[in-house]
Amino acid sequence: MVCERKQCASGDRTGTTALSRVTFTGQHCGYPVGGVVTQQPPKSKTCKRSGCLHRIKYVQKNKEKDSGNMEGAPAKGVLSHLSLLEVKARSRKTQLQQQSRVMELKAKVEALKTQREQLKAQIQTHQDLQKLRLAMDKQCADEEEENMEEESENSKLLRLMARHTQLKDLLHAHHLIGGYDIIKTRKGKGACVSIATAYEDVFLDTFNLEIDLKPTVKISRHNIPPFIPLNNLAEQNNMQTDLRVFLDTLSKHLNAFAGRKQQLKLVKEKHKSVEVMESNVLCSLLVLLFTVPREKTAVLCTLDYTDHTRCLPTRVHLESEDKQLPDSPQWKKNCTLLMETPVHKALITMKKMGSIA
Amino acid sequence: MDNTVKRLLERLVRRIPSRMLKTTLDKWSRLTATQRQSIDYTESKWALTEKLLAICEENELTVKHIAELEMIHVIENPNLGMWHAFQLMDPQDDAHSVELTQFKEQFKSHLSELIRHVSIKIKKHTDEAVWIRIAWGDTFSRPNHLKPTYVVHYLQTPYVFLSSLTSKQKPLLSQALVLSTRYQAIKDANLSGRKLTAIRDLLMKQYLQVFPTKFPSPLAERNRVVSNLHIEKEQAGSAANRHQMACEAFGDGLLPQLQSAVYKLETKFRDHTNKTMTERDEPFRCVVKFASTNLLESLRHSASSGVASTPVTPLLSSVPLKGKNYFVITDNGPGPSSQK
Repeated sequence: MVCERKQCASGDRTGTTALSRVTFTGQHCGYPVGGVVTQQPPKSKTCKRSGCLHRIKYVQKNKEKDSGNMEGAPAKGVLSHLSLLEVKARSRKTQLQQQSRVMELKAKVEALKTQREQLKAQIQTHQDLQKLRLAMDKQCADEEEENMEEESENSKLLRLMARHTQLKDLLHAHHLIGGYDIIKTRKGKGACVSIATAYEDVFLDTFNLEIDLKPTVKISRHNIPPFIPLNNLAEQNNMQTDLRVFLDTLSKHLNAFAGRKQQLKLVKEKHKSVEVMESNVLCSLLVLLFTVPREKTAVLCTLDYTDHTRCLPTRVHLESEDKQLPDSPQWKKNCTLLMETPVHKALITMKKMGSIA
Repeated sequence: MDNTVKRLLERLVRRIPSRMLKTTLDKWSRLTATQRQSIDYTESKWALTEKLLAICEENELTVKHIAELEMIHVIENPNLGMWHAFQLMDPQDDAHSVELTQFKEQFKSHLSELIRHVSIKIKKHTDEAVWIRIAWGDTFSRPNHLKPTYVVHYLQTPYVFLSSLTSKQKPLLSQALVLSTRYQAIKDANLSGRKLTAIRDLLMKQYLQVFPTKFPSPLAERNRVVSNLHIEKEQAGSAANRHQMACEAFGDGLLPQLQSAVYKLETKFRDHTNKTMTERDEPFRCVVKFASTNLLESLRHSASSGVASTPVTPLLSSVPLKGKNYFVITDNGPGPSSQK
């Protein structure tokens, strides 16, 4: 096909260059079909629309437009010019948008790259830390001397971090076995200690202490009952300099108190034949009334727990209407039993032996 | 029959609500079974009083026995009247091993030495509290059973709770308490309220306190039912934060019921727009009183709802922290000043 546009520079009649400017649209039944074809028109095909058997005729599309018919229809020309300008403007905008979008994406790529580098560095530090931890743990186990060679800033920091994680794990393990736990509060200016108490494999109450670390080590808040001499313990164990000793002693006091309280509770629940005559809030004194079977004599037993860090009594005293009973061998044995076994268990044994009802 | 016995019994029967009268009389166990069965509790109080007076005459009960009945009633209902807390100071070495019989003997002997005519009754309650009822007389008159003082003390703790004590009786009682508990001094703990159980729980730390923990909020269940997906609380985060701080300052769950908090200010007036007041040399005296049916609950709610700013000011959080509800604030330092 020949380009029929006047002043068309391409004189090629059969080559694709000339033909590339020529567009054909398929037409039949008066409707465009098959889109725009910019080369040699394909051989006439059958319309693929279902039910239609017409053949497609290809007609040069831009024949009228490119005919350069300026005088013929000036409105059309202006309109077409305007539409051309509109298309040009739109393409420029998309180009701009595309440009700024491209810059955005480039910046994002940079950011992601730096993030990747950071993460890589973190992974590397973590791996180094783990290696160092393994070495440290082995060192602690073997009790070798630490290798204090000349270390760079980085490795010193790494060593410090490894020690930090080691201590955190130690603290967590301590908490898991029923010891106390500490967390930081108020951005390092304070700490909160929670002391768990347990007796005979049963967890009992948890007590808490909030401590100010700056300017001096001081207890600001706690839920420890007033019969535990907290301030005395703090002074005696020098809480300012040796917090661990203070916490260990406090933990002993609280655990012993919880243990004695639990023993009293079990005695009241499981041994209804034994009457509790006296007790106190600290559970440091217990007076029980036993009844001897058969003779029905009463025996008053006083248990003094003067050592408040222990769950066992320091003194057992027996009194009875039968003056000779406390001196009998059986009751002397019971006395030793009460000194050496927790009271609720001792009572079970005494009942089995027939000493008490 | 003795006039005092009559009056005491009358007053007592009036005070005890009809529904509790039966149980209280049973606990008293000074009446025989037949006597107890013969009382008709649906009668009017006046009729009941007459009946009881007759029975008491029959049993030849004295004023001491009626005092016992009154004590049983007060122990069962400790949240009547006005209670004041006191604190024992500077324990001696054997303060921690004072036991009940020793305390009872010592207290009775010391108080009887200080004042000739006094009637003391000591009873230990099941929750380890030692209750003391004191009827005061003086050198010339018999003890007045119509205005007794009640004292509650837990051995091995430094706190004593008193009700109905006059200023004349105070030094005598203080001395007897100090000597029998083996401490060296006693001072006002600046805590008072209508409910003994509330002020006791506050000082003995028997309410639920909240402390910072590693995992502050419970795990959200998987099948959590969201009330309405279309409603989103914009300030859920800050509300949760305020609630946490309010609970840390005051406690969680049911709080001890205090009725008031009084702040007595003795600070210099500090408003530069008011020259006459700032020019005065004397401190500005002012008393601020907060009153409520449950003061700690209202303070906690005001902090968690944002009415009071968080973190909670030490002036308010001192109430549960120090266990006081009477504060004197002076100018000795910056901030909330020294609080006695």
